Amino acid sequence: MTVLSPQSPVENQELMQSVYGARILVVDDMALMRQMIGMCLTRGGYKNIFYASDGDEALRMVKEDEPDIVVLDLNMPRVSGYEVCRTLRADRRFEGLPILVQSASETPEERVEVFAAGATDFVSKPINQPELLARVRMHLENRFMIHSLSEFRKAMQSELVMARDMQQSLLPEADTISAIEHASEMKVESYYRASFELGGDLWGCWPLEGDQLGLFVLDISGHGVSAALNTFRIHATMARFHKSRTDPARFLTELNKALVPNFPMGQFATMFYVVLNHKTGHMVYAGAGAPKPMVISERGVRLLDSTGMPVGISLTPDYINLEDTLKPDESLFCYSDVLIEAPQPDGSMLGEDGLIDWVIEQEKDQDRRDLVSRLLRRFFEAQPSASLPDDLTAVALHPDKDCLT
Amino acid sequence: MDYQINDRGGDAHVKFTGDITFSENVNFRQLLKDIAELNLKSCEFDLSGVDMVDSAGLGMFLIAREQATTAGWKLSVSGAKGHVASMLKLTKLSDLLDG
Repeated sequence: MTVLSPQSPVENQELMQSVYGARILVVDDMALMRQMIGMCLTRGGYKNIFYASDGDEALRMVKEDEPDIVVLDLNMPRVSGYEVCRTLRADRRFEGLPILVQSASETPEERVEVFAAGATDFVSKPINQPELLARVRMHLENRFMIHSLSEFRKAMQSELVMARDMQQSLLPEADTISAIEHASEMKVESYYRASFELGGDLWGCWPLEGDQLGLFVLDISGHGVSAALNTFRIHATMARFHKSRTDPARFLTELNKALVPNFPMGQFATMFYVVLNHKTGHMVYAGAGAPKPMVISERGVRLLDSTGMPVGISLTPDYINLEDTLKPDESLFCYSDVLIEAPQPDGSMLGEDGLIDWVIEQEKDQDRRDLVSRLLRRFFEAQPSASLPDDLTAVALHPDKDCLT
Repeated sequence: MDYQINDRGGDAHVKFTGDITFSENVNFRQLLKDIAELNLKSCEFDLSGVDMVDSAGLGMFLIAREQATTAGWKLSVSGAKGHVASMLKLTKLSDLLDG
Protein backbone atom coordinates (compact mmCIF):
# COMPACT_ATOMS: atom_id res chain seq x y z
CA MET A 1 0.00 0.00 0.00
CA THR A 2 1.23 3.50 -0.75
CA VAL A 3 2.38 5.71 2.10
CA LEU A 4 0.36 8.89 1.90
CA SER A 5 0.26 12.25 3.53
CA PRO A 6 -3.15 13.91 3.53
CA GLN A 7 -1.97 17.33 2.34
CA SER A 8 -0.22 17.22 -1.02
CA PRO A 9 -2.35 17.13 -4.21
CA VAL A 10 -0.18 14.40 -5.76
CA GLU A 11 -0.56 12.26 -2.70
CA ASN A 12 -4.27 13.07 -2.55
CA GLN A 13 -4.53 11.60 -6.02
CA GLU A 14 -2.74 8.50 -4.75
CA LEU A 15 -5.19 8.38 -1.86
CA MET A 16 -8.13 8.40 -4.29
CA GLN A 17 -6.51 5.62 -6.32
CA SER A 18 -6.22 3.57 -3.13
CA VAL A 19 -9.85 4.33 -2.25
CA TYR A 20 -11.29 3.26 -5.62
CA GLY A 21 -9.00 0.25 -5.82
CA ALA A 22 -10.08 -0.82 -2.33
CA ARG A 23 -11.30 -4.36 -1.71
CA ILE A 24 -14.92 -4.25 -0.60
CA LEU A 25 -16.74 -7.26 0.83
CA VAL A 26 -20.53 -7.11 0.58
CA VAL A 27 -22.33 -9.52 2.91
CA ASP A 28 -26.06 -10.23 2.53
CA ASP A 29 -28.13 -13.41 2.50
CA MET A 30 -30.40 -11.98 -0.20
CA ALA A 31 -28.94 -12.23 -3.70
CA LEU A 32 -30.96 -9.21 -4.84
CA MET A 33 -29.50 -7.02 -2.09
CA ARG A 34 -25.96 -8.16 -2.91
CA GLN A 35 -26.53 -7.27 -6.56
CA MET A 36 -28.01 -3.89 -5.72
CA ILE A 37 -25.21 -2.85 -3.38
CA GLY A 38 -22.63 -4.17 -5.85
CA MET A 39 -24.20 -2.13 -8.64
CA CYS A 40 -24.22 1.04 -6.52
CA LEU A 41 -20.56 0.60 -5.70
CA THR A 42 -19.61 -0.22 -9.30
CA ARG A 43 -21.42 2.89 -10.49
CA GLY A 44 -19.56 4.83 -7.83
CA GLY A 45 -16.25 3.78 -9.40
CA TYR A 46 -15.25 0.86 -7.17
CA LYS A 47 -13.63 -2.06 -8.94
CA ASN A 48 -12.78 -4.76 -6.39
CA ILE A 49 -16.06 -5.95 -4.95
CA PHE A 50 -16.66 -9.45 -3.74
CA TYR A 51 -19.59 -11.10 -2.01
CA ALA A 52 -20.53 -13.42 0.83
CA SER A 53 -24.04 -14.82 1.34
CA ASP A 54 -23.87 -15.53 5.08
CA GLY A 55 -21.90 -14.76 8.23
CA ASP A 56 -19.78 -17.90 8.07
CA GLU A 57 -18.69 -17.22 4.53
CA ALA A 58 -18.04 -13.56 5.42
CA LEU A 59 -15.71 -14.48 8.30
CA ARG A 60 -13.82 -16.93 6.09
CA MET A 61 -13.46 -14.38 3.27
CA VAL A 62 -12.31 -11.60 5.60
CA LYS A 63 -9.53 -13.87 6.86
CA GLU A 64 -8.56 -15.11 3.40
CA ASP A 65 -9.01 -12.02 1.25
CA GLU A 66 -8.43 -9.22 3.79
CA PRO A 67 -10.89 -6.61 2.46
CA ASP A 68 -10.45 -2.88 3.19
CA ILE A 69 -14.09 -2.47 4.22
CA VAL A 70 -17.10 -4.73 4.87
CA VAL A 71 -20.71 -3.77 4.05
CA LEU A 72 -22.61 -6.09 6.32
CA ASP A 73 -26.25 -7.18 6.64
CA LEU A 74 -27.41 -7.67 10.23
CA ASN A 75 -30.21 -10.20 9.92
CA MET A 76 -28.85 -13.37 8.38
CA PRO A 77 -29.58 -16.99 9.25
CA ARG A 78 -27.04 -18.99 11.35
CA VAL A 79 -24.25 -16.43 11.98
CA SER A 80 -25.79 -12.94 12.27
CA GLY A 81 -24.16 -9.61 11.43
CA TYR A 82 -23.75 -8.93 15.15
CA GLU A 83 -21.80 -12.15 15.54
CA VAL A 84 -19.60 -11.29 12.55
CA CYS A 85 -18.80 -7.90 14.12
CA ARG A 86 -17.96 -9.40 17.50
CA THR A 87 -15.80 -12.16 16.00
CA LEU A 88 -13.83 -9.72 13.84
CA ARG A 89 -13.28 -7.23 16.66
CA ALA A 90 -11.96 -9.98 18.90
CA ASP A 91 -9.18 -10.56 16.37
CA ARG A 92 -6.39 -7.97 16.59
CA ARG A 93 -5.76 -8.21 12.86
CA PHE A 94 -9.22 -6.79 12.13
CA GLU A 95 -9.68 -4.30 14.95
CA GLY A 96 -9.27 -1.37 12.51
CA LEU A 97 -11.33 -2.87 9.66
CA PRO A 98 -14.28 -0.56 8.84
CA ILE A 99 -17.59 -2.44 9.14
CA LEU A 100 -20.55 -0.66 7.61
CA VAL A 101 -23.78 -2.21 8.80
CA GLN A 102 -26.96 -2.03 6.69
CA SER A 103 -30.22 -2.39 8.45
CA ALA A 104 -33.92 -1.79 7.78
CA SER A 105 -35.05 -1.21 11.34
CA GLU A 106 -33.11 1.39 13.25
CA THR A 107 -34.37 1.80 16.79
CA PRO A 108 -32.07 3.65 19.20
CA GLU A 109 -31.59 0.37 21.09
CA GLU A 110 -30.54 -1.39 17.92
CA ARG A 111 -27.99 1.32 17.12
CA VAL A 112 -26.47 0.95 20.57
CA GLU A 113 -26.30 -2.81 20.17
CA VAL A 114 -24.72 -2.58 16.71
CA PHE A 115 -22.01 -0.18 17.84
CA ALA A 116 -21.42 -2.25 20.98
CA ALA A 117 -20.85 -5.28 18.75
CA GLY A 118 -18.10 -3.34 16.97
CA ALA A 119 -19.68 -1.82 13.84
CA THR A 120 -18.04 1.34 12.52
CA ASP A 121 -21.13 2.95 10.99
CA PHE A 122 -24.67 2.44 9.69
CA VAL A 123 -26.34 2.68 6.28
CA SER A 124 -30.09 2.49 6.19
CA LYS A 125 -32.17 0.13 4.11
CA PRO A 126 -33.54 0.55 1.51
CA ILE A 127 -30.14 1.48 0.17
CA ASN A 128 -29.75 5.09 -0.78
CA GLN A 129 -26.94 5.17 -3.35
CA PRO A 130 -25.40 8.62 -2.56
CA GLU A 131 -25.45 7.85 1.19
CA LEU A 132 -23.84 4.43 0.72
CA LEU A 133 -21.12 5.86 -1.54
CA ALA A 134 -20.43 8.79 0.79
CA ARG A 135 -20.06 6.53 3.82
CA VAL A 136 -17.94 3.93 2.04
CA ARG A 137 -15.66 6.63 0.70
CA MET A 138 -15.30 8.38 4.06
CA HIS A 139 -14.39 5.18 5.89
CA LEU A 140 -11.96 4.09 3.19
CA GLU A 141 -10.26 7.50 3.21
CA ASN A 142 -9.95 7.33 6.99
CA ARG A 143 -8.57 3.82 6.79
CA PHE A 144 -5.93 4.69 4.19
CA MET A 145 -4.94 7.91 5.92
CA ILE A 146 -4.58 6.20 9.29
CA HIS A 147 -2.61 3.43 7.63
CA SER A 148 -0.38 5.98 5.93
CA LEU A 149 0.21 7.88 9.17
CA SER A 150 1.02 4.73 11.09
CA GLU A 151 3.41 3.62 8.31
CA PHE A 152 5.04 7.05 8.47
CA ARG A 153 5.31 6.80 12.25
CA LYS A 154 6.85 3.33 12.01
CA ALA A 155 9.37 4.51 9.43
CA MET A 156 10.22 7.56 11.55
CA GLN A 157 10.60 5.41 14.65
CA SER A 158 13.00 3.05 12.94
CA GLU A 159 15.02 6.02 11.61
CA LEU A 160 15.23 7.40 15.14
CA VAL A 161 16.34 4.06 16.56
CA MET A 162 19.07 3.92 13.95
CA ALA A 163 20.10 7.51 14.73
CA ARG A 164 20.11 6.71 18.45
CA ASP A 165 22.44 3.79 17.87
CA MET A 166 24.72 6.07 15.87
CA GLN A 167 24.66 8.60 18.67
CA GLN A 168 25.51 5.93 21.24
CA SER A 169 28.59 5.20 19.16
CA LEU A 170 29.85 8.75 19.87
CA LEU A 171 30.20 7.82 23.54
CA PRO A 172 33.42 6.15 24.69
CA GLU A 173 33.57 2.46 23.86
CA ALA A 174 33.87 -0.12 26.62
CA ASP A 175 37.41 -0.98 25.43
CA THR A 176 38.54 2.66 25.74
CA ILE A 177 37.05 2.96 29.22
CA SER A 178 38.59 -0.26 30.40
CA ALA A 179 42.03 0.73 29.01
CA ILE A 180 41.76 4.05 30.87
CA GLU A 181 40.63 2.31 34.07
CA HIS A 182 43.54 -0.08 33.82
CA ALA A 183 46.14 2.64 33.17
CA SER A 184 44.78 5.09 35.76
CA GLU A 185 43.76 2.59 38.43
CA MET A 186 40.49 4.47 38.67
CA LYS A 187 36.95 3.33 38.03
CA VAL A 188 35.01 5.26 35.39
CA GLU A 189 31.34 5.22 36.35
CA SER A 190 29.04 6.69 33.72
CA TYR A 191 25.39 7.09 32.81
CA TYR A 192 23.78 8.58 29.73
CA ARG A 193 20.11 8.86 28.87
CA ALA A 194 18.40 11.02 26.27
CA SER A 195 15.04 12.60 27.15
CA PHE A 196 13.83 11.87 23.63
CA GLU A 197 15.17 9.09 21.34
CA LEU A 198 18.08 11.41 20.59
CA GLY A 199 19.93 13.58 23.04
CA GLY A 200 21.99 16.75 23.19
CA ASP A 201 24.47 15.55 25.81
CA LEU A 202 27.85 14.04 25.18
CA TRP A 203 30.79 12.96 27.25
CA GLY A 204 34.12 11.41 26.43
CA CYS A 205 37.49 10.46 27.80
CA TRP A 206 40.81 9.66 26.24
CA PRO A 207 44.27 8.65 27.38
CA LEU A 208 46.97 11.32 27.05
CA GLU A 209 50.74 11.21 27.17
CA GLY A 210 52.60 11.37 30.50
CA ASP A 211 50.16 9.40 32.72
CA GLN A 212 47.31 11.76 31.89
CA LEU A 213 43.74 11.38 30.81
CA GLY A 214 41.26 13.88 29.39
CA LEU A 215 37.58 13.90 30.36
CA PHE A 216 34.84 16.15 29.02
CA VAL A 217 31.10 16.52 29.50
CA LEU A 218 28.97 18.78 27.34
CA ASP A 219 25.33 19.71 26.99
CA ILE A 220 23.89 21.33 23.88
CA SER A 221 21.18 23.89 24.63
CA GLY A 222 17.71 22.48 24.02
CA HIS A 223 17.23 18.80 23.23
CA GLY A 224 15.79 16.49 20.60
CA VAL A 225 16.89 16.10 16.99
CA SER A 226 18.57 19.49 16.45
CA ALA A 227 20.59 19.21 19.67
CA ALA A 228 21.53 15.64 18.70
CA LEU A 229 22.78 16.75 15.29
CA ASN A 230 24.94 19.31 17.06
CA THR A 231 26.52 16.55 19.18
CA PHE A 232 27.69 14.95 15.91
CA ARG A 233 29.02 18.31 14.75
CA ILE A 234 30.89 18.90 18.00
CA HIS A 235 32.24 15.36 18.12
CA ALA A 236 33.63 15.67 14.60
CA THR A 237 35.05 19.14 15.30
CA MET A 238 36.77 18.00 18.50
CA ALA A 239 38.73 15.41 16.54
CA ARG A 240 40.40 18.25 14.61
CA PHE A 241 41.97 19.64 17.76
CA HIS A 242 43.46 16.51 19.26
CA LYS A 243 46.86 18.22 19.52
CA SER A 244 45.42 20.68 22.03
CA ARG A 245 43.89 18.03 24.23
CA THR A 246 46.55 18.45 26.93
CA ASP A 247 45.63 22.14 27.35
CA PRO A 248 41.94 22.50 28.34
CA ALA A 249 41.61 26.27 27.82
CA ARG A 250 43.28 26.08 24.42
CA PHE A 251 41.16 23.07 23.47
CA LEU A 252 37.93 24.93 24.36
CA THR A 253 39.14 28.09 22.61
CA GLU A 254 39.88 26.27 19.37
CA LEU A 255 36.67 24.26 19.53
CA ASN A 256 34.67 27.42 20.19
CA LYS A 257 36.31 29.29 17.32
CA ALA A 258 35.38 26.50 14.93
CA LEU A 259 31.81 26.25 16.21
CA VAL A 260 30.75 29.91 16.47
CA PRO A 261 30.20 30.33 12.70
CA ASN A 262 28.26 27.06 12.50
CA PHE A 263 26.03 27.22 15.54
CA PRO A 264 22.66 28.88 14.90
CA MET A 265 21.94 31.89 17.13
CA GLY A 266 20.57 30.76 20.48
CA GLN A 267 22.24 27.34 20.35
CA PHE A 268 25.43 26.58 22.23
CA ALA A 269 27.09 23.94 24.35
CA THR A 270 28.00 24.18 28.01
CA MET A 271 31.13 22.18 28.64
CA PHE A 272 33.76 21.12 31.14
CA TYR A 273 37.11 19.64 30.19
CA VAL A 274 39.73 18.34 32.60
CA VAL A 275 43.18 16.85 32.09
CA LEU A 276 44.08 14.65 35.06
CA ASN A 277 47.48 13.20 35.85
CA HIS A 278 46.46 9.95 37.45
CA LYS A 279 49.84 9.38 39.06
CA THR A 280 49.93 12.72 40.90
CA GLY A 281 46.23 13.67 40.90
CA HIS A 282 47.15 17.03 39.37
CA MET A 283 44.21 18.47 37.43
CA VAL A 284 44.10 21.25 34.87
CA TYR A 285 40.62 22.18 33.79
CA ALA A 286 38.58 24.78 31.95
CA GLY A 287 34.87 25.45 32.11
CA ALA A 288 32.35 26.71 29.59
CA GLY A 289 29.32 27.04 31.84
CA ALA A 290 28.69 23.35 32.63
CA PRO A 291 27.36 22.55 36.13
CA LYS A 292 30.22 22.72 38.60
CA PRO A 293 31.87 19.30 38.94
CA MET A 294 32.18 17.92 42.47
CA VAL A 295 35.26 16.55 44.19
CA ILE A 296 33.93 14.05 46.72
CA SER A 297 35.56 12.47 49.74
CA GLU A 298 34.70 11.43 53.30
CA ARG A 299 35.45 15.02 54.27
CA GLY A 300 32.64 16.35 52.09
CA VAL A 301 32.21 17.96 48.69
CA ARG A 302 34.07 20.82 47.04
CA LEU A 303 33.20 22.32 43.68
CA LEU A 304 35.41 23.02 40.71
CA ASP A 305 34.80 26.38 39.09
CA SER A 306 33.41 25.72 35.62
CA THR A 307 32.38 29.33 34.99
CA GLY A 308 32.85 30.29 31.36
CA MET A 309 31.00 31.31 28.24
CA PRO A 310 29.39 28.25 26.60
CA VAL A 311 31.01 27.27 23.29
CA GLY A 312 29.39 28.47 20.09
CA ILE A 313 28.35 31.98 21.21
CA SER A 314 31.18 34.50 21.18
CA LEU A 315 34.55 34.67 19.46
CA THR A 316 36.15 36.11 22.61
CA PRO A 317 35.11 33.71 25.34
CA ASP A 318 38.41 33.99 27.30
CA TYR A 319 38.68 30.45 28.63
CA ILE A 320 41.22 30.01 31.41
CA ASN A 321 42.96 27.00 32.89
CA LEU A 322 42.47 26.35 36.59
CA GLU A 323 44.37 23.82 38.65
CA ASP A 324 43.54 21.48 41.50
CA THR A 325 44.63 18.15 42.88
CA LEU A 326 42.51 15.04 43.13
CA LYS A 327 43.70 13.27 46.26
CA PRO A 328 43.91 9.46 46.28
CA ASP A 329 40.72 9.19 48.34
CA GLU A 330 38.71 11.66 46.25
CA SER A 331 36.29 11.09 43.37
CA LEU A 332 35.51 13.52 40.57
CA PHE A 333 31.86 13.77 39.59
CA CYS A 334 30.54 15.61 36.50
CA TYR A 335 26.86 15.79 35.55
CA SER A 336 24.41 17.57 33.28
CA ASP A 337 22.00 20.19 34.56
CA VAL A 338 18.80 18.10 34.45
CA LEU A 339 19.96 16.46 37.68
CA ILE A 340 19.56 19.72 39.58
CA GLU A 341 16.86 21.34 37.44
CA ALA A 342 14.28 18.55 37.00
CA PRO A 343 11.18 19.20 39.10
CA GLN A 344 10.90 17.17 42.29
CA PRO A 345 7.55 15.68 43.39
CA ASP A 346 6.72 18.97 45.19
CA GLY A 347 7.47 20.95 42.02
CA SER A 348 10.67 22.49 43.36
CA MET A 349 14.07 21.90 41.77
CA LEU A 350 16.82 20.08 43.65
CA GLY A 351 19.47 22.69 42.91
CA GLU A 352 23.20 22.40 43.39
CA ASP A 353 22.96 22.51 47.20
CA GLY A 354 20.30 19.80 47.19
CA LEU A 355 22.48 17.55 45.04
CA ILE A 356 25.47 18.13 47.32
CA ASP A 357 23.33 17.00 50.30
CA TRP A 358 22.35 13.85 48.38
CA VAL A 359 25.98 13.13 47.53
CA ILE A 360 27.08 13.54 51.14
CA GLU A 361 24.32 11.19 52.30
CA GLN A 362 25.16 8.59 49.66
CA GLU A 363 28.86 8.83 50.43
CA LYS A 364 28.45 7.86 54.06
CA ASP A 365 29.54 4.32 54.95
CA GLN A 366 29.06 3.04 51.43
CA ASP A 367 31.31 2.03 48.59
CA ARG A 368 31.75 5.23 46.60
CA ARG A 369 32.53 3.33 43.40
CA ASP A 370 28.80 3.00 42.68
CA LEU A 371 27.88 6.46 43.92
CA VAL A 372 26.50 7.56 40.53
CA SER A 373 24.13 4.62 40.24
CA ARG A 374 22.87 5.16 43.80
CA LEU A 375 22.40 8.89 43.17
CA LEU A 376 20.52 8.22 39.97
CA ARG A 377 18.33 5.58 41.60
CA ARG A 378 17.31 8.22 44.09
CA PHE A 379 16.87 10.80 41.33
CA PHE A 380 14.58 8.55 39.27
CA GLU A 381 12.56 7.55 42.35
CA ALA A 382 11.85 11.24 42.93
CA GLN A 383 10.85 11.87 39.30
CA PRO A 384 7.09 12.23 38.97
CA SER A 385 7.08 10.79 35.42
CA ALA A 386 9.12 8.25 33.49
CA SER A 387 10.20 10.82 30.92
CA LEU A 388 12.94 13.33 31.69
CA PRO A 389 12.63 17.04 30.85
CA ASP A 390 16.19 17.02 29.45
CA ASP A 391 19.05 14.66 28.64
CA LEU A 392 21.01 13.22 31.54
CA THR A 393 24.72 12.52 31.72
CA ALA A 394 26.64 11.62 34.87
CA VAL A 395 30.29 10.58 34.92
CA ALA A 396 32.55 9.91 37.88
CA LEU A 397 36.18 8.97 38.26
CA HIS A 398 36.69 6.94 41.43
CA PRO A 399 40.00 5.92 42.92
CA ASP A 400 39.90 2.14 42.97
CA LYS A 401 41.15 1.22 46.42
CA ASP A 402 41.64 -2.39 45.36
CA CYS A 403 44.07 -1.28 42.69
CA LEU A 404 46.00 1.20 44.84
CA THR A 405 48.89 -0.19 46.81
CA MET B 1 6.26 31.59 31.49
CA ASP B 2 4.19 34.77 31.29
CA TYR B 3 5.33 38.23 30.35
CA GLN B 4 3.98 41.73 30.54
CA ILE B 5 5.32 44.49 28.31
CA ASN B 6 5.22 48.04 29.55
CA ASP B 7 6.39 50.52 26.92
CA ARG B 8 7.44 53.83 28.44
CA GLY B 9 7.99 55.92 25.32
CA GLY B 10 10.53 53.66 23.62
CA ASP B 11 12.01 52.31 26.84
CA ALA B 12 10.23 49.03 27.39
CA HIS B 13 10.10 46.99 30.56
CA VAL B 14 9.27 43.29 30.23
CA LYS B 15 8.29 41.58 33.46
CA PHE B 16 8.64 37.79 33.26
CA THR B 17 6.99 35.31 35.60
CA GLY B 18 7.29 31.50 35.79
CA ASP B 19 10.04 29.27 34.39
CA ILE B 20 11.85 30.05 31.15
CA THR B 21 12.60 26.65 29.61
CA PHE B 22 12.74 24.71 26.35
CA SER B 23 8.96 24.36 26.22
CA GLU B 24 8.51 28.17 26.25
CA ASN B 25 10.20 28.56 22.87
CA VAL B 26 7.00 29.50 20.99
CA ASN B 27 5.89 31.87 23.74
CA PHE B 28 9.27 33.60 23.82
CA ARG B 29 9.29 34.04 20.04
CA GLN B 30 5.90 35.69 20.33
CA LEU B 31 7.40 38.11 22.86
CA LEU B 32 10.19 38.92 20.39
CA LYS B 33 7.57 39.63 17.71
CA ASP B 34 5.62 41.82 20.14
CA ILE B 35 8.64 43.93 21.01
CA ALA B 36 9.77 44.10 17.38
CA GLU B 37 6.58 46.05 16.68
CA LEU B 38 7.50 48.72 19.22
CA ASN B 39 9.80 51.56 18.30
CA LEU B 40 12.39 50.80 20.96
CA LYS B 41 15.42 52.61 22.27
CA SER B 42 15.92 50.11 25.06
CA CYS B 43 14.32 47.12 26.67
CA GLU B 44 14.81 45.77 30.16
CA PHE B 45 14.08 42.10 30.86
CA ASP B 46 12.99 41.97 34.48
CA LEU B 47 13.65 38.45 35.78
CA SER B 48 12.71 39.08 39.42
CA GLY B 49 9.63 36.86 39.00
CA VAL B 50 11.52 33.98 37.39
CA ASP B 51 12.60 31.00 39.50
CA MET B 52 14.25 28.88 36.86
CA VAL B 53 15.92 29.19 33.47
CA ASP B 54 17.43 26.28 31.55
CA SER B 55 20.01 26.35 28.76
CA ALA B 56 17.35 26.68 26.08
CA GLY B 57 16.00 29.69 28.02
CA LEU B 58 19.45 31.27 28.01
CA GLY B 59 19.56 30.65 24.26
CA MET B 60 16.36 32.66 23.88
CA PHE B 61 18.00 35.62 25.66
CA LEU B 62 20.82 35.40 23.13
CA ILE B 63 18.29 35.54 20.30
CA ALA B 64 16.74 38.63 21.94
CA ARG B 65 20.20 40.18 22.14
CA GLU B 66 20.76 39.50 18.44
CA GLN B 67 17.43 41.15 17.67
CA ALA B 68 18.42 44.18 19.77
CA THR B 69 21.77 44.53 17.99
CA THR B 70 20.16 44.25 14.56
CA ALA B 71 17.33 46.69 15.33
CA GLY B 72 19.56 49.10 17.21
CA TRP B 73 18.06 49.07 20.69
CA LYS B 74 19.76 48.24 23.98
CA LEU B 75 18.87 45.11 25.94
CA SER B 76 19.44 44.84 29.67
CA VAL B 77 18.62 42.16 32.19
CA SER B 78 17.67 42.86 35.78
CA GLY B 79 16.35 41.24 38.92
CA ALA B 80 17.88 37.75 38.41
CA LYS B 81 17.99 35.81 41.66
CA GLY B 82 18.71 32.29 42.91
CA HIS B 83 19.13 29.71 40.17
CA VAL B 84 18.63 32.28 37.40
CA ALA B 85 21.41 34.50 38.77
CA SER B 86 23.74 31.48 39.18
CA MET B 87 23.09 30.34 35.60
CA LEU B 88 23.81 33.81 34.18
CA LYS B 89 26.99 34.00 36.22
CA LEU B 90 28.17 30.43 35.49
CA THR B 91 27.79 30.97 31.74
CA LYS B 92 29.10 34.58 31.87
CA LEU B 93 26.00 35.57 29.94
CA SER B 94 25.18 38.29 32.47
CA ASP B 95 28.10 40.35 31.05
CA LEU B 96 27.17 39.61 27.45
CA LEU B 97 23.46 40.38 27.86
CA ASP B 98 24.12 43.66 29.62
CA GLY B 99 26.96 44.60 27.26
